Amino acid sequence: MNSMNNIERVKEIVEKVAKVRKFEQIDKFQIAFEIEKNDVHQTLSALKLAGWKQLSYLSAIDWIETSKFELVYVLFNWDEALYIQIRAMIEREAAEMNSIISIFPGAKYYEREAHEFFGINFPGNPDYHKQLILENWDDIPPLRKDFDPSVYSDRKFPKREYSVDYSVKDPENKSFEKIKEREKRALSLRTGGQKK
Amino acid sequence: MKEMKLFLGPQHPGMHGNASVHMFVDGDIIKRSYLLPGMLYRGFEKQMERKLWVNNIALIPRVCVPEPDINEMAFASGAEKLLKLEIPERAHWIRMIILEFARISAHLMAYGGLGGPTGNYTLMYHAHADRNNILDIFEKITGARVYHQYIVIGGVRQDLPKGIEKDMHTFLDSLESRLKEYRDLGIDNASIIKRIKDTIMLPAEVVWELGVTGIGMRSAVNKAYDIRKVAPYARYDQVEFEVPVSDYSDARSRLDIKIKEVQQSINIIRQCLEKMPEGPVRVKPARGQSMRWTVPKGHVYSMVESSRGEFGYYMVSNGGTHPYRVGVRGASYPQGLLGIEKYLPGTRIDDAALWVDTMGICSPEIDR
Amino acid sequence: MKSTKFTPVPLTKAETDKKWWEIGDFFRRNSLWLLMYCTGCCAIELPPAMTSAYDMERLGMGPMATPRQADILLVSGYLSLKTLRRLIYTYEQMSEPRYVVALGSCPINGGIYHDSHAVINQLDQYIPVDVYVAGCMPNTEAVMNGFVDLMDQIKHKRANGWKKYHENYSWYKANQITSLGEVDVHDEFHE
Repeated sequence: MNSMNNIERVKEIVEKVAKVRKFEQIDKFQIAFEIEKNDVHQTLSALKLAGWKQLSYLSAIDWIETSKFELVYVLFNWDEALYIQIRAMIEREAAEMNSIISIFPGAKYYEREAHEFFGINFPGNPDYHKQLILENWDDIPPLRKDFDPSVYSDRKFPKREYSVDYSVKDPENKSFEKIKEREKRALSLRTGGQKK
Repeated sequence: MKEMKLFLGPQHPGMHGNASVHMFVDGDIIKRSYLLPGMLYRGFEKQMERKLWVNNIALIPRVCVPEPDINEMAFASGAEKLLKLEIPERAHWIRMIILEFARISAHLMAYGGLGGPTGNYTLMYHAHADRNNILDIFEKITGARVYHQYIVIGGVRQDLPKGIEKDMHTFLDSLESRLKEYRDLGIDNASIIKRIKDTIMLPAEVVWELGVTGIGMRSAVNKAYDIRKVAPYARYDQVEFEVPVSDYSDARSRLDIKIKEVQQSINIIRQCLEKMPEGPVRVKPARGQSMRWTVPKGHVYSMVESSRGEFGYYMVSNGGTHPYRVGVRGASYPQGLLGIEKYLPGTRIDDAALWVDTMGICSPEIDR
Repeated sequence: MKSTKFTPVPLTKAETDKKWWEIGDFFRRNSLWLLMYCTGCCAIELPPAMTSAYDMERLGMGPMATPRQADILLVSGYLSLKTLRRLIYTYEQMSEPRYVVALGSCPINGGIYHDSHAVINQLDQYIPVDVYVAGCMPNTEAVMNGFVDLMDQIKHKRANGWKKYHENYSWYKANQITSLGEVDVHDEFHE
């Protein structure tokens, strides 16, 4: 089955066209390359010629601390069973990445979705700016890390009121504070560790 | 003739799930068409970032409704790859049993769904009755009919109950004996064979352009392109099964492959029940640690062969208690969005429902 | 000898109407047509309810393809904003009397999606709901029980959601506009 030779071959192909910043082997069937933004198109077309004909996934990750978006392309070769992740960083402000639909036509809707959820522009994709999944969206793109869905939900959708019917028998008792403390911890776990 | 606008869905008996196909038609030939997704959008990927790794187990089955277990499997195996966690041997086999039952149930639902667009309701009644038996077996194993939350990080939640093997064998025997009946009612039925033969074909060249996987791909390219074979997960490399293929992809041959896959799944479950070792089924975190469970940094793409094709989770951890980003690759993404836009034009209006049914388009996993 | 001849008691208009409604409700509750609109994931428990496993038809219920001829609007599960727009559109098309059955926890209080930015939390703010079936997801038995409850409500004249919608129309509309911004469907196709 797929041997180390195969991985070496892919490494050669990628290193020929792109500057590899980081190589990673995740498991027997999966490797990852971190490359520069400008090399993505050449790498993808070289891999497509070498047999990685299927684009499995395309999306982005928001690294808000370093103010970058990371684009991810996952390719698969059915004959040699090896998944390749190609990752590239782009700037978060006015994020832009040339479309890859000339190489993989199947990327069209993934790019539209990434535009909708992250606000990344894809010049070259004919209608990436059209709304796809959201309708009349009136806030920042929802998958960015600085968007808080619970705040949006509280603002827009009325919530059902439930009465809190525990009583504090003894005001000196610490159990009331304990309940408050527990609620605070539950809230922090629920909101992804972010402070409200 | 003037071009006319026409909806198929979201409120339509021939439509599976809450999605809408918008068509511009001339006579009864579709000129342009596209899918309008998003009616089941729940902000899943955002919700997952806000829940603990363990809590996500409760959320993920809801990504795909007819076949929820693939989500649990993809998520759990992805997290295990990041954690470098070896799970007990018995858990692998139990997972396979659950996944194959889920595959049978999804195939039966899709095969019975043929009743909607073609008016063959007998088939639908038979298929749903058998599917209900699978749900009963799931209820005995996991406690729930539809959303099981059974495959968790580190194995499965609990061992199989005593005596369940007998129920499984009874069901598998009865289903196997009825497969010929299913063929007679559906794909070999003279009254609908004209309806499904040579309609909505998918040529092999188009497959690569669209990126279609699963039955749609295998029915066109005549190769055993199945993740269970080419990149086996769990213990699929230790069971014997065939991957049914064909080189002529019309509605009939895709349904034919579905029924053949049900037979293969039955064989796999039987082998699993035979080969399954005894032992523990779960690696548990230390007491009190489950809420503080952190996963090491890394990116992983974990994939499962679902009844519709390659289903994957792209998971990123930054070393914290919550996933940093989880992306879902719905198996019906290519055939649902690009397939309807590029490939449906030129066919007839009533074939749109057949495309949705036989290619297996599951709208919740497109929207998330 | 006492006369056996039937002498009709003259009824007022209101009383006649009441009698006719009672007769109408009797027939209506024994032949309920539910609209096939699968809004969410609880719809997966409907095929077993409709087909031979639980056989909804013994309650006199059946699926109906068009909203204009349906009695029940079945909200099966969570409602995203995009669906809610279409749901209101469908609800307003239905002829009266119309009943709403909401399945699952999500229409009650948001359920597992209580803090999601795409799913509403409380359905009865937007359209009146007659029966809620709790659970995630409710069993087929629970779904069937919900329908029996609805029949019982119709019998005792408690299924008055559609009247409430008339009386509080401006309140419902105001809520719809707060959450949706715009209630009418505007997409590429409608241009």
